[in-house]
Amino acid sequence: MNDELFLNERIKVLAVFGGGLNPCRPLRFRRINGREVDITEIGLRHPNMKGKRMVHIFDVTDGQADYRLEFDAQQLTWHLTREADHEI
Amino acid sequence: MKYNPEEPQVIHVDLNSAFASIEQQSRPLLRGRPVAVINRRVENTAIVTASYEAKARGVKVGMRFAEAARLAPGLVAIESDPLKYRFVYKKLMAILNDYSSDVVMKSIDEGVIDFHHIPNHRPLIEIGYEIKQRLRDEVGSAMRCNVGIGPNRFLAKTAAGLHKPDGLDVITADNLRATYETMKLTDLTGIAEHMQQRLNAVGIDTPIQFLDASAVALQKVMFKSICGGQWYERLRGFEVDNYKTVTKRVGRQYVLEDRNLTHAEIASRLHHLCESVGSRLRGQHKLARGVYVYAKTIHHQYWHGSQMCQLPFYSDQTINSIAQQLFFKAPGLIKEIGVHCYGLVDDDDSQMSLFGDILAREHQLVDAIDGINQRFGDRTVHSASTLDTGEFVKSKIPFGSTRYL
Repeated sequence: MNDELFLNERIKVLAVFGGGLNPCRPLRFRRINGREVDITEIGLRHPNMKGKRMVHIFDVTDGQADYRLEFDAQQLTWHLTREADHEI
Repeated sequence: MKYNPEEPQVIHVDLNSAFASIEQQSRPLLRGRPVAVINRRVENTAIVTASYEAKARGVKVGMRFAEAARLAPGLVAIESDPLKYRFVYKKLMAILNDYSSDVVMKSIDEGVIDFHHIPNHRPLIEIGYEIKQRLRDEVGSAMRCNVGIGPNRFLAKTAAGLHKPDGLDVITADNLRATYETMKLTDLTGIAEHMQQRLNAVGIDTPIQFLDASAVALQKVMFKSICGGQWYERLRGFEVDNYKTVTKRVGRQYVLEDRNLTHAEIASRLHHLCESVGSRLRGQHKLARGVYVYAKTIHHQYWHGSQMCQLPFYSDQTINSIAQQLFFKAPGLIKEIGVHCYGLVDDDDSQMSLFGDILAREHQLVDAIDGINQRFGDRTVHSASTLDTGEFVKSKIPFGSTRYL
């Protein structure tokens, strides 16, 4: 079994909104304990309708661990919901 | 009959180890590592999909996770994430739809493009490579797919299975025979172990022998039906599989998370399944007239019960009421349950009924509940007896059908 942590942590995110195939790109986020994480790759972004509320899910990595960030397009808030380092 | 001489006009696209690849795409640290997608985080869970790194170590789909972990130390188990897979499915479908209006998604990870009615299209090999590149650009750099090109759907799918992962192959009348020479009977789509035994019984041990069998022999001796003639044409590259399937039943099953549940606890999980089936039924704009319930015991016994009604229905309450009556007679020591609705008819309100008022009230109530659930999210309103079952009976990946995607 993998060592995935399920979280519901409100975070601050630095993101770029632009054009192209990935119009929203989170670059860095600050966790509630003050630690800053630089995102090195966005693995996949997929939308999730929670009723009529749209939440964009970003699976990202900083090269040390994989994270899941959720951007609530209605509330304009970001949450860190998963963290996994996949250690053997 | 000779082989179909026409230029191949069908492309079959198949995502490689789809769910595992999608997980490796979304979680970059998993790339290059053995990954298994499972449905539940327990040791005796079965593997839904394995990555190529896991397959190289002998891990197979359907294998128990504990056994797979022994074969592939460091195997990472990831719980399936149907939402993510649906997203990639829709991306793949959008890409395929850019090339023809005749696109059929055969399952959550494969689709077919038919170019027969498109004059002067670009070479299919060029389109095939473009689809591969677009998948990497529009979904992610770790995504790979197999592309098969052939004169009919069967040969296109066969071609897509020749060089995994990330292959692109073309089968024409010129190389058809040479391709069959490299294959076993069970490599052919539609030939599983049981069918292989039937073919062996009439002296057909290889695809070449299957190809060389006469249409009469296949139809009258081997299959004893029109299927024999269809196989004769299919193997030669003529199209016999271009038809639409009709939904005949809607159902769901669930492997119990614990073998020691009481009958009441299992009944509440059955109720959850009934709500899920009702939702799928209404999503297909269908009404049902029958309910079928089954249970498998830990001693490999199969029990089932069914009931056909005179009036069609579609509410969760009615489905559950019939299912619970049937389930009352189920044996103990159950490990798996399932419920299906059958006798489906279109929900078009065209038929007048003596019970019109009752049905209209049921429609209004169910539609109101569905409306709330669509607005605020699945299972915002559901029955009290399934309050604590959602933690166990989660939405899973619908294999083999794209009806619920």
